[in-house]
Amino acid sequence: MYSKKTELKNVSGLHARPASEFVTMAKSFESKVTVQRLDDPEAQAANAKSIIKILAQGISVGTPIEIAADGPDEQEAVDKLIELVDSKFGED
Amino acid sequence: MRILKGNPVSRGIALGKVFIYKAFKADVHESYFEAGKEEEYFQKYQDAVKKAQDELQNIVTSMEADSPEKAKIFSAHIEILTDEEVEDEVRTMIIENRAMPDYAVDEVYTEFANLLEKAKDPLIAARVADLRDVRNRVLRILKGEHERNLSSLRENVIVVAHDLLPSDTATMKRDRVMGIVTEAGGSTSHTAILARGYKIPAVLGVPDATEIMKSGDSIIVDALNGQILLEPEEAKIQEYQEKLIEYVKEEAETSEFLDKIPLIASGERFSVGLNVGGTDPDDNAKYVDFVGLFRTEFLYMGSEHMPTEQEQFEAYKRVLANAMGNPVTLRTLDIGGDKTLPYLPLPKEDNPFLGNRALRLCLTHIDLFKTQLRAALRASAFGPLQIMFPMVGTMDDVRAGKAVVEEVKAELSAEDKAFDEKIAIGIMIEIPSIAMIADMVAAEVDFASVGTNDLTQYLHAVDRMNPALADYFQSMSPAMLRILGRIFSEFNKAGKPISVCGELAGDHLGALLMFGLGLRKFSMNGTNIGRVKRTLSLFTLDEAQEIAKKALDLPTEAEIIAYVNAEVDKKAE
Repeated sequence: MYSKKTELKNVSGLHARPASEFVTMAKSFESKVTVQRLDDPEAQAANAKSIIKILAQGISVGTPIEIAADGPDEQEAVDKLIELVDSKFGED
Repeated sequence: MRILKGNPVSRGIALGKVFIYKAFKADVHESYFEAGKEEEYFQKYQDAVKKAQDELQNIVTSMEADSPEKAKIFSAHIEILTDEEVEDEVRTMIIENRAMPDYAVDEVYTEFANLLEKAKDPLIAARVADLRDVRNRVLRILKGEHERNLSSLRENVIVVAHDLLPSDTATMKRDRVMGIVTEAGGSTSHTAILARGYKIPAVLGVPDATEIMKSGDSIIVDALNGQILLEPEEAKIQEYQEKLIEYVKEEAETSEFLDKIPLIASGERFSVGLNVGGTDPDDNAKYVDFVGLFRTEFLYMGSEHMPTEQEQFEAYKRVLANAMGNPVTLRTLDIGGDKTLPYLPLPKEDNPFLGNRALRLCLTHIDLFKTQLRAALRASAFGPLQIMFPMVGTMDDVRAGKAVVEEVKAELSAEDKAFDEKIAIGIMIEIPSIAMIADMVAAEVDFASVGTNDLTQYLHAVDRMNPALADYFQSMSPAMLRILGRIFSEFNKAGKPISVCGELAGDHLGALLMFGLGLRKFSMNGTNIGRVKRTLSLFTLDEAQEIAKKALDLPTEAEIIAYVNAEVDKKAE
């Protein structure tokens, strides 16, 4: 198990195209990957490979999140996904 | 003749024949199969998914070249169809519970749709339509039925349906569809966004439309007023044909100006802003330079409880995102004793518009005010936001409001919360007493925006809600022009931004006069943008100043309007 925290920096949040890119990248790893909102104590960790679960999280700009992975490529999965989020998905 | 009412979500008028579109309607019941057939039924589901994926991939391929935006809708459908959580849950229901595949699919998609519907963000909730769409596709394939859609309409029709799903509208033969009427859907629904994009007149939310009308019926869709006229008589048809010609002519003249850079004939640039009152995206955001008025009352009026800091923070960030990087001017709460909020009892007042309202109310309910300011300041870390106080009458008000902002900033700094340290703080100018000291005010605020409706009301002592006084409500009176001219020149002299966000900025005659008086920032509702840009583009700076100068010396509003109208007509010919 490996995990890292970050914050959404692109204005449109984890919706539409960014959500789709995020899920596509998550699917390219073998490990189980989850996303956890850190600002809502009731939020449950969501499967990062499910577009519907990711959208349902309603993660907007400024939301702190934790990305965790468990499996053979866990470290690479987390690092690459964090990098994608921090790149603002190419916005502005 | 019978009239049905609905929500006009895409402006226009259409006359024509009804085409009732019945999409595939799944008839699913809770049902199970006998033990031993688990693999066989799961295979059926997998075959259906495979077939659905092929159908979708075909649509994507056929659309990719000509309409990549529409192709994306179907790519998103493939993502949903192959979502691993969906597949896991369907597998569990079939293999472990021995649920029939159609029942399993319906249950799982409904569960996920409920999950998305709970998301407060309207953009995400709108994705529920995509989920329903994919579910229907899978269920139809499981039933062995062929694809149904609107791609082969043979004559011009007005489409009447219970609801249109993304795949219906994306494959629709669009040049055959003159109007859309549905029973479901609001102004942010998928159908509404699409109809506006294609400029198809649409009235949604018409109860029982598919029961009351039948294919071939003659109707008029009045999507300016939200009416459907069934079997109209000849005189009505003629009346609407004339209306339609007039509407199309005006649209053609103004719409080509929508995306133009706002310039007058001698080359000076002015700025056009958008007024917004909620978190729904406005298609017009791409035609403007700023959001000159973001009304925040919807948060308070539409809630059973005092909106929390977090709720407001999320809403303000969403509005910033909708503005696509342009600056947003947030107006703090503007209500008074004429409104009732379940969680905030306000005493009845004899004159609520002269009462404890807006900034005055906020200064007497300091917790409410601070909560809003905290949310606004925190949102300012995520985009260009400025804060504006309504109902400012004296310099005491200006200073009291700014002092609370400073207090809140200090609190946030102590808590290590991010905000824009240099956030601009401004005021609405709508009370004559503050307009008269514009020179002194300009020195103490970062910007101001004139609310011409309230300024007219307070300058002329006319209750604008009283229909008996409609003739007395004169926004273009000589008194208004003189006070506006004074405000603009004092702010311009001080080098502080001044804008108008009242109705007068969206009125092309008013905008022309105010340009001549020195205004360069006009914020308005989306429907007025094209017309204001067009009218101002016809005049040079000298001409606009000359018109304003002459208007200032005309003694009545009627004479001013007649004069400016004649000048615009001369140019427009």
